Amino acid sequence: MIRTLSPPRRGRSYAVQVAREVLTQWGARLGLAWIGLLVFLAVFAPFLANSHPLLLSQDGQLDSPLVRYLTPADVTLLALFFTGLLLALSRASLRTWLGGLGSVLLLAGTLSAAWVQPPALAIYEQYRQQEAAGEYDWVVYAPIPYSPKDYQRDRGETGLQPPLASPKKDHWFGTEENGADVLARMVHASRIALGIGFIATGIALALGILIGGLMGYFSGAVDIIGMRLVEIFEAVPTLFLLLTFVAFFERSLYLLMVIIGITSWSGYARYVRAEFLRLRQQDFVQAALACGLPLHSILFRHMLPNGIGPILVAASFGVASAILAEAVLSFLGLGLVDDPSWGQMLNQAVRSSTFNWWMAAFPGGAIFLTVFAYNLVGEALRDAIDPYLKKSLR
Amino acid sequence: MSTYVIRRLLLMIPTLLGITLVVFTVMAASPGGISAQSLIEGQNLEPQAKKALEDYYNQLYGLDSPPAVQYLRWLNNVSPVGFTFDEERHISGFSFWKGSDLGTSFRYGRPVLDLLEERVPLTLLLNALSLPLIYTLAIAVGVRAATERGKVFDVSSSALMLGLWSIPTMLAGVLLIGFFASDQYWHWFPTAGLNTREALDMPFLPHWGSLQEVALLFGTGAVGTIMGIGLALKVPRLLRVGLLAGLGLSLGLWMGANLPGPHLGVTVLLSLLLIVAVGGLGYTDYTGLRVSLLGLLGAGLGLAVGTHWGGGEFVRGFLLDRLWHLVLPVLCLTYSGFAFLSKLTRTAVLENLMADYARTAQAKGLAEKVVLWKHVFRNSLLPLITVSATLLPGLLAGSVIVESIFSIEGMGKLAVEAVQTRDRELVLSITLISGLLTLVGYLIADLCYAIADPRVSYD
Repeated sequence: MIRTLSPPRRGRSYAVQVAREVLTQWGARLGLAWIGLLVFLAVFAPFLANSHPLLLSQDGQLDSPLVRYLTPADVTLLALFFTGLLLALSRASLRTWLGGLGSVLLLAGTLSAAWVQPPALAIYEQYRQQEAAGEYDWVVYAPIPYSPKDYQRDRGETGLQPPLASPKKDHWFGTEENGADVLARMVHASRIALGIGFIATGIALALGILIGGLMGYFSGAVDIIGMRLVEIFEAVPTLFLLLTFVAFFERSLYLLMVIIGITSWSGYARYVRAEFLRLRQQDFVQAALACGLPLHSILFRHMLPNGIGPILVAASFGVASAILAEAVLSFLGLGLVDDPSWGQMLNQAVRSSTFNWWMAAFPGGAIFLTVFAYNLVGEALRDAIDPYLKKSLR
Repeated sequence: MSTYVIRRLLLMIPTLLGITLVVFTVMAASPGGISAQSLIEGQNLEPQAKKALEDYYNQLYGLDSPPAVQYLRWLNNVSPVGFTFDEERHISGFSFWKGSDLGTSFRYGRPVLDLLEERVPLTLLLNALSLPLIYTLAIAVGVRAATERGKVFDVSSSALMLGLWSIPTMLAGVLLIGFFASDQYWHWFPTAGLNTREALDMPFLPHWGSLQEVALLFGTGAVGTIMGIGLALKVPRLLRVGLLAGLGLSLGLWMGANLPGPHLGVTVLLSLLLIVAVGGLGYTDYTGLRVSLLGLLGAGLGLAVGTHWGGGEFVRGFLLDRLWHLVLPVLCLTYSGFAFLSKLTRTAVLENLMADYARTAQAKGLAEKVVLWKHVFRNSLLPLITVSATLLPGLLAGSVIVESIFSIEGMGKLAVEAVQTRDRELVLSITLISGLLTLVGYLIADLCYAIADPRVSYD
């Protein structure tokens, strides 16, 4: 497995070089493909799995209940996705990327919150009844014609049902204990997994870089106090702290992200501190200091880009563990209550007295694949960044 | 050295204070918080009885005072040095050895110390069994992978370890319990607990009705082991793989036949899986691995045949019953740590293999084995020691999940119950204990580091 590295060419930034290096590895490609699939599922979830028909014609009039029932979050996510796609196609720089996405998030978020108002109550039976009664001329459903919270009380048998056991074969991954379609719930749950992973890790990174950077830069008393703080958060098992947080506060997705972020910054802080302690001695930092540059400029424009490599590797593994943390909480019954989540579905595999293998295999498999994908990417990223390994492989 | 230990021990105090402060703040800041009212919420009582109960809780736990006072009160109770109080909750004196009191649990109404004394040994038992397993397996695989860098074993074991590491503990637990413990599938292992009720009355060691049966069992076990090892060492590879694949097929068919109800798909899938897995055992080049695995397989088969023939009065005994209950939880607790550590061992050994001293040793003609185990491996132990400190809290967290899945009444399960029922004294005590264990783990790791590496000095 001796890989030769392409010699660094002029005009190619370090980031592009690392990205190319990562993409040469099969594991990373597979991991990125799975993450891409998840992004696709998360963005288009309402169009992929929904009980509301996509389009129907009733007495010659066209109607699209699915579009009427889109939530502000759906609209914002779609806007973000297409902006990101556009920026990627136009080869924008990282700065315009972040700026564009940020402004779209703000704009679409506020606009859709003001204007997009789905009906508060969704009745799913009506379509099935009206279709059975022959009131529609024609009707087009989403590929998976069930909503995640469509508990199908109008159907004959509700509750646990193995996949494809019924003669009609309409639930590909079976149904869960309340009678909702597992595949539909899994598609919608990919949003939670992705969101938790990225936002919780983002919060943890921001906290870790800030605290670790200050510790490394100032050292001395700041360092000693900061290290105690790091030690405190390391010595409580993170899972236990999370449990305490979640058990004592209300359960909401956003709070969950913040809490997972708050409890997992200590590792990043350690990395950044060590990196900054090393960089502080170097000439370019001393020169920047001598020039009288302001502190934030020295810290974030001069020191941080030089130490960001190993931190990104850690962050990639961090996304995996954040997803895992949410899954564990949901599994222990401390996650979101009604919203679909992979961990909560996995919990149903053994909660009733029988073992429902499809509840373990599909949601559990999804958790495994996602965690595996991020770990693969992290591994490839480390191989691309770690100069020692490069030397040893030559 | 001793000054270093003392300094570290003293530095533990602010950290422990910080940990409990963080957890206490979370509990106090939560909506509703912890008050006598929240404790008796949901109990259908007359208003007067409710008031009386509230007063009682306030008196007992001091829940009516402001949070800061409550925390200081708790701290005073826990620390061995502090103020003593009289009946009316007034300070009556200052004592240097009043002893520490972890308080009384809200939910169980029993002293927290009693609860912990019951629960901690079970968690420690689980972890004490998995740690040696993790280390031996990880070192065997990691060293092998490093010496064969880039070859089949290295690449496949690296991918496998990353995969194992990514399997969530709860998924592994749910699958194991579902397939091997539930009566819908094989029901080989118990579903919950650490022993059956009858086992408490059994003698400690297993025993059989007659001496013949014991002899038979030993005989078949020994024959199986010898056949397994012989197969691994003497038979050429192609024949070996063929024989083992046949064995895998028959095992799969037998397991399929043992299922309650027809499961054609499961049988086919399982047979294919076992053919690949057992046949793969014969294919591997790694003689040590092959011999030990095939020996174990042979011994297991031999023992199974022996018990099947013997069939007489067999009393399981407490020890065997306990072990039988421990198999699945320990497996769940072991595999991810093993995967993580073996990757780490691989990097450490690789790093040292490429160091100048190792090349010098090779160049002067030392045997490969001597270089590997006497020189390189010893130096590679250092990172393993540092990681063992971080492995400990990981195991504690892992036991939370494993104990909840397998209904083992250990500290992890107690922790989940404590936070779910908002049992303040219990939550704080568990935080304190697990924090203390973690910090002591770090300290021991640092000391081992100093012992293993003479260059490290702590003065």
